[in-house]
Amino acid sequence: MKKWLWNSAAVGLAMTMLLTGCGGAKKTSGNSGGGSDSDGIKVGILFSLSGATAVTEKGMANAALLAIEEINANGGVKGKKLIPVQEDLASQPSVAATKAKKLLQQDKVVAIVGGYTSASRQAMLPIVEQNKGVLVYPTLYEGEECSKNIIYTGATPNQQLQDFVPWMIENYGKKFFFIGSDYVYPAETNKQVKALLKKFGGEVVGEEYVPIGHSEFASVINKIKSAQPNVIFSDLVGDSVAAFYKQYKSYGLDPAKMPIASPITAETDLAAMGAEVGEGHITSYGYFQSLDTPENKKFVEAYHTKYGQNEPITSVIEAAYFSTHLLAKALEKTDDIRNAEKLIKAFAGLEFQAPQGKIKIDEHNNHAYLYSRIAKIGKDGQFHVVKESKEPIAPEPWAKILFPDKEKTCHLH
Amino acid sequence: MQQIADGASVAGILVIVALGLSIIFGVMKVINMAHGELIMIGAYTTYVVYTLNDLPFYVGMLAAFVVAAIVGFLMETLVIKRLYGRPLETLLATWGISIILQQVIRMIFGPDGKTVISPLADKLEIGQIVIPHFRLFIILFAIGLLIATTFILFKTKFGTQFRTVAQNREMSECLGINTSRIDTYTFAFGAGLAGVAGAVLAPLKTVSPTMGLSYLVDAFMTVVLGGVGSLAGTALGSGVIGETSQLLTTISGETGAKILVFLLIILVIRFKPEGLFRMERR
Repeated sequence: MKKWLWNSAAVGLAMTMLLTGCGGAKKTSGNSGGGSDSDGIKVGILFSLSGATAVTEKGMANAALLAIEEINANGGVKGKKLIPVQEDLASQPSVAATKAKKLLQQDKVVAIVGGYTSASRQAMLPIVEQNKGVLVYPTLYEGEECSKNIIYTGATPNQQLQDFVPWMIENYGKKFFFIGSDYVYPAETNKQVKALLKKFGGEVVGEEYVPIGHSEFASVINKIKSAQPNVIFSDLVGDSVAAFYKQYKSYGLDPAKMPIASPITAETDLAAMGAEVGEGHITSYGYFQSLDTPENKKFVEAYHTKYGQNEPITSVIEAAYFSTHLLAKALEKTDDIRNAEKLIKAFAGLEFQAPQGKIKIDEHNNHAYLYSRIAKIGKDGQFHVVKESKEPIAPEPWAKILFPDKEKTCHLH
Repeated sequence: MQQIADGASVAGILVIVALGLSIIFGVMKVINMAHGELIMIGAYTTYVVYTLNDLPFYVGMLAAFVVAAIVGFLMETLVIKRLYGRPLETLLATWGISIILQQVIRMIFGPDGKTVISPLADKLEIGQIVIPHFRLFIILFAIGLLIATTFILFKTKFGTQFRTVAQNREMSECLGINTSRIDTYTFAFGAGLAGVAGAVLAPLKTVSPTMGLSYLVDAFMTVVLGGVGSLAGTALGSGVIGETSQLLTTISGETGAKILVFLLIILVIRFKPEGLFRMERR
């Protein structure tokens, strides 16, 4: 009997630790229930604070909270403070759906800023549409989607690729080797890269997809060596990224002749591989932590003061930050913050001086005009911009190069 | 030839990853779902010692062994000791521990990956074949680790008692061997080996809270294929998996090779349920 008690106590302790371990990082502010706006305006912040993609999403949540702090310090919206209601979607799409429902129905938030993986966005989409809510989704994604209830502030593939691919061909050569994680984003992105290669006279000399989390690349590197490409185009994600770059270096390949070009390798990956390994490789994004704009300097300093000097800031973190500011501007502009239709309309054509430069929301398709920048990794472990677009590039949810007739598909307003 | 050399280095990695699990799983019949997290803790220890404090790499390896062994010791005395003979509960408890360890590391170091730079940056070139020095080191280290473990198990008093308990627990108890203490030491030793695996893998892979998961699968595959509770089996199992997967990837790509290797293992287990190396039962 006594032994049985001991055993259950041990299991109980383990379970408790497990639960608090996962919940410990969660901070939910604001009381649940009640939809009164007399004391402030509730905004949902919904990212993964635990699980596989917490790596990036924690920073996005932090950036959104920082933006709310700044907005409140400037007097809030319509004289009211924004109240963040934060939830953890735990890297699971099903949890994202439940939490989105909770935020909209129970907490009665005016809008949600959140989502990172496409799977989480797709899980939230029907919930947001049914509940007549607003979701601001700040992550680059594969496109081919439009919702009248979602504002997409991350890059569509054309914004990262249409300058990037020709620039790589011009500077390194026309033979491309694809390496990617085996899921929807790399497949969709590579379709566009291939279309661009065709247009600009490039060619594909090899293509490999590995399971997510895969970290043994000896055989892929052998194939690359025998294919002799000019550019390795990588859309690997997660733990695979640093492993691949490290093993590329250990086999003695030279980034000056055959760099890894990627639309998704970011500052966080660079921290995981080290500057020595990353040096010479190339990435395309609208934003880099090293950008030399007054808005970015202010943003990086505020972020580092609040969350620590060594926290890497990536393009999705910047997007979460300016998305929250954009939401505040839209709330300020609309005459009825509780009306999703009017709030979405208020977003159309809205401009904001973001850390990456002046961006704006397209009048018709709820996506954002963003900058395109190509950057090389330097000795200092930072990205150095080598080419940038003069002005923000128009978003193409259905890329023109793949779907020339689909221009009107996303004509929402 | 290049594929065979790469296969050898993959096999080396598998030996190092699976050795600790083989000892814990084979002798104590404990399915340790937290094995990957012990590897992860070894990798983080190396990060702290080698990258942050700038001490030599072998100090990091040693520290990784000690820290992981301590974590293993605590796991055994606090939780697993109370659950022997109840495989399902052990499975759940160690799985819970793996989640706790992941989250603790995430709270201390943050969720993003850390850098451990390879201590041996050079490479060996024989004609067309390229072998990075660090991969060569892994192959040699795996062989060394196998020899050292064999020595410990067959030439020391702990090893004799360990093998006695493995063969017949009740009889050893009758003979006055403190089996519960042997269990604790064995678990700590196996955990320590996992820690060393983490140290050796850190410069090659990504050091992150989630890194352990893929190694857990690899380690179980190796141990089951080779034969539970047999060191020679672990060595053979990792050799077979390492070489076949590298040779298959040249024909079928990474995902295809993984599927084929899984099929191969299922076939072997179907016809030789005890694995390639059968341990003698007396």
